[in-house]
Amino acid sequence: MAEITFVKKGVTGGTEQRQKSSLTRSQRRTLTFYAFITPWLLGFIFLGLFPLIVGFLTSLTNYDGLNLATVKFIGLDNYTRAFEDPDVGFSLVRTLLWGLLNLPCWLVISFTLAMILNQEVKGRGFFRVIFYLPSIIPLVAAINAWRIILEKNYGMLNYLISFWRPNTAIGWMSDYALPGMTLIAVWGGLGGGMIIFLAGLQNIPDELVEAAKIDGANGIQVFRHITLPLMTPVIFFQLVLGLIGAFQQLNLPLILSTVGLSTGVPPRPIYLYMIHTYRQIFTHGRYGYGTALLWMLFVGTIALTAIVFWSQKFWVYSSEATTEGGRS
Amino acid sequence: MNWQREGYLSKRFGRFTGYTILIATTIMLALPVFFLLVASFKQDSEYMTYPIQILAKVPQWSNYKAVFTMTPFVKIATRTGLLGISVAVLTTISSSLAGYAFARYRVPGSSRLFSIVIALLIVPGIVILIPQFVLFARLKLTNTYWPWILGAIVGNPYYIFFFRQFFLNFPKELEEAAEVDGCGPFRIYWQIFMPNAKPVIATVMIFAFNGVWADYLMPLIYLSANKTLLGVAMATAFRNPNGNDLKTISMAANVIYVLPLIVVFFFAQKHILKGVVTTGLKG
Repeated sequence: MAEITFVKKGVTGGTEQRQKSSLTRSQRRTLTFYAFITPWLLGFIFLGLFPLIVGFLTSLTNYDGLNLATVKFIGLDNYTRAFEDPDVGFSLVRTLLWGLLNLPCWLVISFTLAMILNQEVKGRGFFRVIFYLPSIIPLVAAINAWRIILEKNYGMLNYLISFWRPNTAIGWMSDYALPGMTLIAVWGGLGGGMIIFLAGLQNIPDELVEAAKIDGANGIQVFRHITLPLMTPVIFFQLVLGLIGAFQQLNLPLILSTVGLSTGVPPRPIYLYMIHTYRQIFTHGRYGYGTALLWMLFVGTIALTAIVFWSQKFWVYSSEATTEGGRS
Repeated sequence: MNWQREGYLSKRFGRFTGYTILIATTIMLALPVFFLLVASFKQDSEYMTYPIQILAKVPQWSNYKAVFTMTPFVKIATRTGLLGISVAVLTTISSSLAGYAFARYRVPGSSRLFSIVIALLIVPGIVILIPQFVLFARLKLTNTYWPWILGAIVGNPYYIFFFRQFFLNFPKELEEAAEVDGCGPFRIYWQIFMPNAKPVIATVMIFAFNGVWADYLMPLIYLSANKTLLGVAMATAFRNPNGNDLKTISMAANVIYVLPLIVVFFFAQKHILKGVVTTGLKG
């Protein structure tokens, strides 16, 4: 039943039955394949490719959401405007700082936890589940909870610090929002990172480690010369995804400023690039300028990813480089 | 790494440090959740006051009752839950269809299309989300749930990838035997592959449901206040008719908001963590 309707789709005209039998097996398979992926393919074209192109065209206009009748092409004005906008440079620097603070913290902590759990520890399964738990807590609820800790005057963290330094009132959600936000991000992200590092560590053949030990290597040497090199592909993968994530970070500062300060405008330290873009579109209705900023982010992300990919050959271990590598 | 050749003492020391770090991390990860839970039992006058008190003087169980009687929580939660389930079902069907096709069919164009799926895994979602908003706004579909439903019918590159990886491991004989018996491709997919993919189906459904339940950005940009979903509703405190914030009652609502996700996660954690490893998708 279902088979016949699928075949119908690809065939013009009404005599499906006869035409069906005249199709070769491979033609039939091709039609079936395209029938199966039709929902995704149509969606990719109409909800992916098409908005992207329209978005790009919008970035060449002065469209503000209302002036459709008088909209006109203004060439690359929106793009040159970005270079004159001081907030673009400022937010870009904040985004870089955010990445520089958040990524290494997250990588090191989740890697360390994975290293510990890769040994024979009791309750490994328990810790794996517990460490991942923050990842499934919705960001809004997480920030509601973190606010109790990070709040300037009544927060638990400043309360704790006050034992050493009385009357501490550090604005973890305002003036020092960058470290505050990093805390939340690492809290929510280390489980996912740990799970992936752990899977990588478990792929390292035991024989390699054993052989090195027999040759007299100590724990640090094993880590330095075997574990770490063999883990570089996984670290690389995490770094690429982390970089892309850092540059498109929008939710965290947006929710932080809604929940914590109720202003909706993030404090300057976490005024990230995407926040600036978001505000251009949704606060000021500058669709043209906003989509231009979006495209610049897109191109910038690709360029950055390309640089990281290029840097691969200097530090990422590949099994082709050494013929007797243990990775399969 | 093992510590066998390191001597007894250093082995003991390594174990000890390891457990210390693990337990310290567990406590630090649990702290925010603990404080949220504790705050949900306080009176408003005890919440964020000085001097700081960690526990409520008298636990206010009535806060939880008030969530159901004084706030629109149930209404919004029902709406969010129904939309989440619809999205989960639709996206599972469309993603598994595509995943099955990519796993089992090598036809002209199939590998090229699959490389598009892979490329979409790393394209920043936000780069598409905003142009999509512009498109849906032009189609007058803002303030409706169509953006969710249409997005679900399309499927998701992560889930497609996940299904494909899973289906790749199915033995070829399985479908060959079915084909000999006269099974059409759709029946092979529906009666042989899908019933054997329950762990993946469960994982994808949980991820997809969680994606709607936890989402803040989409309801924020698409929906007005009277249609909004929990993600946005929980970002601000509920108010009483006089316009005052119901702070700790909102905290109790947050606890209820998180609870179902934690319960489901504990039941399905084995499959979910496997899904994280396979797709690199983190929650």
